[in-house]
Amino acid sequence: MHDRCRRPEAGSLVITRLRRRMAEILLTLPSFFWLALFFLVPTGLVFILAFRPADPFGGIGRGWTLATIRALSDPQYLAIAWRTLWVSFTATAICMLLAIPTGYAVARAAPRRRNLLLMLVIVPFWTSFLIRVFAWKSILHPEGIIKKALVFSGLVDANASLLYHLGAVILVTVYTFLPFAILPIYAAAEKFDYRLIEAARDLGARPFAAFRKVFLPGVRQGLVTAVLVVFIPALGSYVIPDIVGGTGSELLGNKIAQRVFVDRNLPLAGGLSIVLILAVLAPLLAVLALQRKAGQAVPRDGEGTP
Amino acid sequence: MAEFLDFDRISKRFGPIQAVDDVSLGIRRGEFFALLGPSGCGKTTMLRVAAGFETPDAGRVFLDGRDITALPPNRRRVNTIFQSYALFPHLTVRGNIAFGLQIAKRPKAEIEREVEAMLRLIRLEDQADKKPDLLSGGQRQRVAVARALINKPDVLLLDEPLAALDLKLRQRMLIELDIIHDQVGITFLYVTHDQGEAMSLSDRIAVMNAGRIEQIGTPAEIYEAPRTSFVAAFIGDTNFLEGVVADHPEPEYSRLRIEGLPDVTVYNDKQIADGNQVFLSVRPEKIQISRDRPEPKSKRNAVPAVVEDVIYLGPTTKYWVRAGGHRLQVLRQHARFFLDEKPIRWKDDVWIFWHGDDGFMLEGFRRDDERLIAVPPQKVGDA
Amino acid sequence: MRRSRFPFIVTGLVLVFFYLPILILVVDSFNSSRFGGAWRGFSLKWYARLFHEPAVWESARNTLFIALLVTFVSLVLGTTSALALHRFSTSRLQRFHYTLVYTPLVVPEILMGISLLMAFVAAGIRLGILTIILAHVTFCVSYVALTVLGRLQDFDFTIVEAARDLGASSWVAARRVLLPMLAPGLAAAGLIAFTLSVDDFVITFFVAGPGATTLPIRVYSMIKHGATPLINALSTLLLALTFTTVLISQRLSASGALKSRTPE
Repeated sequence: MHDRCRRPEAGSLVITRLRRRMAEILLTLPSFFWLALFFLVPTGLVFILAFRPADPFGGIGRGWTLATIRALSDPQYLAIAWRTLWVSFTATAICMLLAIPTGYAVARAAPRRRNLLLMLVIVPFWTSFLIRVFAWKSILHPEGIIKKALVFSGLVDANASLLYHLGAVILVTVYTFLPFAILPIYAAAEKFDYRLIEAARDLGARPFAAFRKVFLPGVRQGLVTAVLVVFIPALGSYVIPDIVGGTGSELLGNKIAQRVFVDRNLPLAGGLSIVLILAVLAPLLAVLALQRKAGQAVPRDGEGTP
Repeated sequence: MAEFLDFDRISKRFGPIQAVDDVSLGIRRGEFFALLGPSGCGKTTMLRVAAGFETPDAGRVFLDGRDITALPPNRRRVNTIFQSYALFPHLTVRGNIAFGLQIAKRPKAEIEREVEAMLRLIRLEDQADKKPDLLSGGQRQRVAVARALINKPDVLLLDEPLAALDLKLRQRMLIELDIIHDQVGITFLYVTHDQGEAMSLSDRIAVMNAGRIEQIGTPAEIYEAPRTSFVAAFIGDTNFLEGVVADHPEPEYSRLRIEGLPDVTVYNDKQIADGNQVFLSVRPEKIQISRDRPEPKSKRNAVPAVVEDVIYLGPTTKYWVRAGGHRLQVLRQHARFFLDEKPIRWKDDVWIFWHGDDGFMLEGFRRDDERLIAVPPQKVGDA
Repeated sequence: MRRSRFPFIVTGLVLVFFYLPILILVVDSFNSSRFGGAWRGFSLKWYARLFHEPAVWESARNTLFIALLVTFVSLVLGTTSALALHRFSTSRLQRFHYTLVYTPLVVPEILMGISLLMAFVAAGIRLGILTIILAHVTFCVSYVALTVLGRLQDFDFTIVEAARDLGASSWVAARRVLLPMLAPGLAAAGLIAFTLSVDDFVITFFVAGPGATTLPIRVYSMIKHGATPLINALSTLLLALTFTTVLISQRLSASGALKSRTPE
């Protein structure tokens, strides 16, 4: 007869649990350490630097001061912040107007066509961002093709400039971020059950009403992602205003870079960065709050009163 | 006699849930043994404990006398057929089947020989060089079986292997598994929630619920003589009646007093004493139904009733009747041409009757188990 | 039910919008005229000129070196991170870990650039190739980790259990089953890291020193100084490279996907 002892060897359970914990820590440590060191710490540094005075020779002074923070209320900064918000907002809106039909169309396409379309959308996504911005700079150039075509067709005056104003910035921003907006909408549209639209039509809704009341809510998650993925990077634009924007179209990113490289005023750059961080956090937190509210329990059959 | 595969007081909990609660089970060599129960009853956990993927919190597992509780899965002479088959997608059928022997570093010639033998057994010689994603569900299952059997394990563990197949295929694979078991003679431990599979394939069944074993026995024992209300209701259909043992007109028969009904005679195999409250279970096919009052016979129970529902199924008809305030199910087989008779219809007054030998008293009864009986609703929105 | 043509029209316009500037750029690179407005005949002279620019080659070499190193390091860091996030997904540590990995993706590049610059300055580290590598790894790790995590989540781990059931020790099972099946996912993640590193401008701009130039920085300074036709040629070359990379990665993901055709 075998031994009727009940428990497995005394310490083996504890050892297994410890071994598991060790394995977890070992796997987590490399990336955790790296990101803490090269991401968290520098970000913290930015916050700290904003409260330090600027050394007249371009370094960082000693002690603490709120002068930098107060300097942020200067009207030029407010103007730039407002301009940044406005440009980002407009670019996002235009992107959404273009991305929603496109994402829908690609999702509804026949499978072979769909793969081709997807590839066509993805390729610009992988292309060097700098090159794409430059492409616009050269074609919007006064001697460029588009200007010539527009003047030829009489739409634009020969003296007008297509470059170096906010319009160009918005246009190129839309161009740059449109693929980012299309992909999440496509992903959500692909998972959408189109029989719901048939049901809506069956119940009397006209095509656009069905689209508005059934499709859009159904791909809500994709829409939110698309908005975030355009709006937030747009807030941090640097290259686009720099290359096609000109002096009157500086955005927050350009100002920050100017303070760093031209004025060598690191604390002020830090202060402006904090403004940018806050501008970025606001929509993110708003989305998180909305998601939390929407994620309430759904009643199931059999539980509760019929 | 020590069993071949022995579970000795196994307990396992996952967080707040006690998946297996002090379960002991002995499986004989060469047996086709089923663990049957609803999802979450602990049967899969038991299987994984046997395979070595879970270590029990308490208790031991013995295989052929040897304690394997702490042995890792790759060192046990036990192989598993997973529910999803878990075939290696980057290997061909041949590669999958050969895997175990390759790991064991057997000579190449032997591996080739064995693999060919297996391919013949499962009749997939012409698919041998394909990758799993090109095979159908039934073919994949056969590869999974071959991959496990080639190692000649002491026990083959099957985790709901037919769950992913459609009905027709399932029926065919059921028979094939039976054939394989007969041919190979290995001990099978089969886990399922489908009573049809368990009953048609196994030598013995253990019915599990909420981490405990409700009953172990042959399929017929489980069906005809369930010990608890769960076993009675989970397997097949039944009727439950609550009553008190009034007296015993004969040594092996008790008379029950049930509210609303005349006294009922039932065979007392569990030596339940007079005065005890008991639950009576009678299976629907054991009850007969007729418009005319039956002749009184010894140990026959006859009760007047009113028909509430009639469900015509072709070979049988299911009647739901109300007798003395109780709703009862009766299953009638149409052994003769049906259209000749005057059918029993809704709202008819009838008599239902059964023999005292055909009902049984239950040792354990839980109100919850009544929910396992699928009673048709009487109003829209009825629970 | 009639399907509206509107979405498809918009899609067509969007695709034209996408590719027109690129097409013009490519065509112009073969334009013998200095100004893109007028076509003066086919010419490869800008490509020839490009090949004789030592600055371009040097920056290309730097870019490649950095990208390869960054890919390797971020693959290691990202894969271990993904394994931890997947295996121990319920622990508190991992929840924080996940936020830490996820956040760099939502932060605008300029913030990352400036914070790294400040950190390097404060720590007294000289700006150069090293700081570029450190910076690139920092944002690549997140992409790699999340890509590999996605693959792990779709991965059927019962297959590894099956290997152990058939006699393989944990290590052998990992080597013979887990790694071969994870390989396409790792390759895709590596490709992403490589492309991100090659293309990055903003962060690199902030943390590169005077001596270290990458291709994007070289392109930027060429843009600023107006060497237009050369940029066209360089851009066309880079576009061709990107296009092939995308094709390769599509092939990789297509071969990894299971085709479920059931003949029976």
